[in-house]
Amino acid sequence: MFGFKRNGKSKEKVVANVRVGKPQVKPTASAHTAGVKRGNARGNSEKEAGIKTAPDRLSAKATARRSTGINAEARNPIDPRMPNLPPA
Amino acid sequence: MSTVSEQDIQAGKGTRLVEMAWDPITRIIGNLGIYTKIDFANRKVVECKSTSSMFRGYSVFMRGKDPRDAHFITSRICGICGDNHATCSVYAQNMAYGIKTPILGEMIFNLGEAAEYMFDHAIFQDNLVFVDFCERMVKETNPGLLARAEKTEAKHADIHGYRTIADIMRSLNPFQGAIYREALQMSRLTREMFCLMEGRHVHPSTLYPGGVGTVPTPQLFTDYLVRLMKFIDFAKKLVPLNDDIFDFFYEALPGYEMVGNRRILLGCWGAFQNPEVVDYSYARMTDWGRAMYVTPGVVVDGELVTTDLTEINLGIRILLGNSYYEDWQNEEMFVSHDPLGNEVDKRHPWNQTTIPKPQKRNLPEGPYSWVMSPRWYNKRTGEFLPLDTGGGPLARLWATALAGLVDTPYVKSTGKSVTITLPRTASSGEMQLEWKVPKWANTIERDRARAYFIAYAAGMAMKFVEDALKRLRGGDVRVFQDFDVPKEAIGCGFHEAVRGVLSHHLVIRDRKIANYHPYPPTPWNASPRDHMGQPGPYEDAVQGLPIFEENGQENFKGIDIMRTVRSFDPCLPCGVHMYVGDGKVIEQHHSPMLGFGK
Repeated sequence: MFGFKRNGKSKEKVVANVRVGKPQVKPTASAHTAGVKRGNARGNSEKEAGIKTAPDRLSAKATARRSTGINAEARNPIDPRMPNLPPA
Repeated sequence: MSTVSEQDIQAGKGTRLVEMAWDPITRIIGNLGIYTKIDFANRKVVECKSTSSMFRGYSVFMRGKDPRDAHFITSRICGICGDNHATCSVYAQNMAYGIKTPILGEMIFNLGEAAEYMFDHAIFQDNLVFVDFCERMVKETNPGLLARAEKTEAKHADIHGYRTIADIMRSLNPFQGAIYREALQMSRLTREMFCLMEGRHVHPSTLYPGGVGTVPTPQLFTDYLVRLMKFIDFAKKLVPLNDDIFDFFYEALPGYEMVGNRRILLGCWGAFQNPEVVDYSYARMTDWGRAMYVTPGVVVDGELVTTDLTEINLGIRILLGNSYYEDWQNEEMFVSHDPLGNEVDKRHPWNQTTIPKPQKRNLPEGPYSWVMSPRWYNKRTGEFLPLDTGGGPLARLWATALAGLVDTPYVKSTGKSVTITLPRTASSGEMQLEWKVPKWANTIERDRARAYFIAYAAGMAMKFVEDALKRLRGGDVRVFQDFDVPKEAIGCGFHEAVRGVLSHHLVIRDRKIANYHPYPPTPWNASPRDHMGQPGPYEDAVQGLPIFEENGQENFKGIDIMRTVRSFDPCLPCGVHMYVGDGKVIEQHHSPMLGFGK
């Protein structure tokens, strides 16, 4: 039980009129383990294959590379003005 | 269930008051009790207190957690509008991280939330609220009214197909009525629409700060659109049907407008961000708030006091009143000034510290509820206003109508009304609806507004799906913005949960949550008396309510009280148990439809 002594008086605390035990996780515990990659980290979108982000970062165009890694260039629309609508 | 106290009370002026209680109130989510004193001789409710026997503690256990988890955790606050919490939390996180969702991603948020409004309002109105207006119920409570309904022609019979009001009431009978059953089928469609956008109902799996994980494809939006068109077909029938039944109540029961009537004190925190305008910065919150497709606003005595989200934010005060908490006046101050330099009150959610203090319920003198008393400080008059949400739609439509800011192809605000144009669908042509600002904030108008808001959400969904398809056909596929969690930040999110105002206030320190306070609609609506003695909205609406039920004290069902409480769309999530005295608890398990018809 995370080192919590059930009857250890020193571990008990009273908040208002509620007797509470020792928290299983300290409020100061790390929210994130250092060294683990964060999916949300800045720069990750640019690394995604087949997505070309616009300078304002609010829109992006897809290329065929988003759907396939095999000869993707040949699968782009024949006219560059045409949108590329990958199936997923 | 209702309970009558054995001991009647003799009031000072020789009036005989009877204590009646409904605890828990059924057909809502959660554990709500309504305790009243009724004067049967004068057919009036004299006093009302609303109580909740449930403590949640989100603001306590959110502290210390990774802020990126906030929307996943707070979604679990509710089993019916969890996505509203997730969305609101994402809005608050976006502000804290200094990011904005890409335009197409924002449209996906809006489409998911529109589906939620359509789903939740339709299922609540047709399968839960209308049980109070159905033939079987009216036969039990007001047989005279049903006899009149049999003879009253429905004005919009050509649209919905029911000749008399009694025919409409029969269509609302649980499990048997056609509208009841069709609404259930529709709830499946709208849920599918929701899942297309947000991954899962009701706790979304594809919403994140910065965007969505939903992959935008033409099929995604066309799958949504085809369901939406079917639903619009249903909504076109539903709104005139609602008008018919509610107009009949006014007509057949003169004075019914006083049922559930209270001073017009409505709050709406705005919904459907404008993807082109919103940037989630606190400094520009007033501007992007006003660009929302449901305008935020506070309506006092029928006047629109403000549409400024910054003012709305700074005016929120959490009073303890008659609730089971200890004061936090001596606790830590997290945010003394907002990013614009305005002073933030100690009783603002940013600075709240929740200290629960469980104790015995003391209805006569208090405290008697786990719900706190949120109030909105009107700096013009110095009042702490007990705003209600009108069940959600009433406040949304009222604020939007008066503000006159929404102008889209399907929904327009005129300054005194909201017009909704629903496109041609399989079984009917284009239809224009107009919700006009009513004279009262009462039970009937709260219920009527819900039907109109279903159409409003459908109209907005049409716009969003068309905009999204256009954008997609232009080649845009960006739905997510990457970000880093700052070491220290604050954020606030404003949204409309299905049943009204929703705010999330967040303080980040050392990349962790230092303080987090979600304020959903029900604390506003179900709040107990505050320290100034001001009753909460349920209490206020039920107190002074005239009784139209034909039953006497012996068979009293309290239908007018129940209609009033349910018109607010109450939601105090958790399990419900029946306490019948002497320590006896009844647990009833009910499987709808099982064995039906045998």
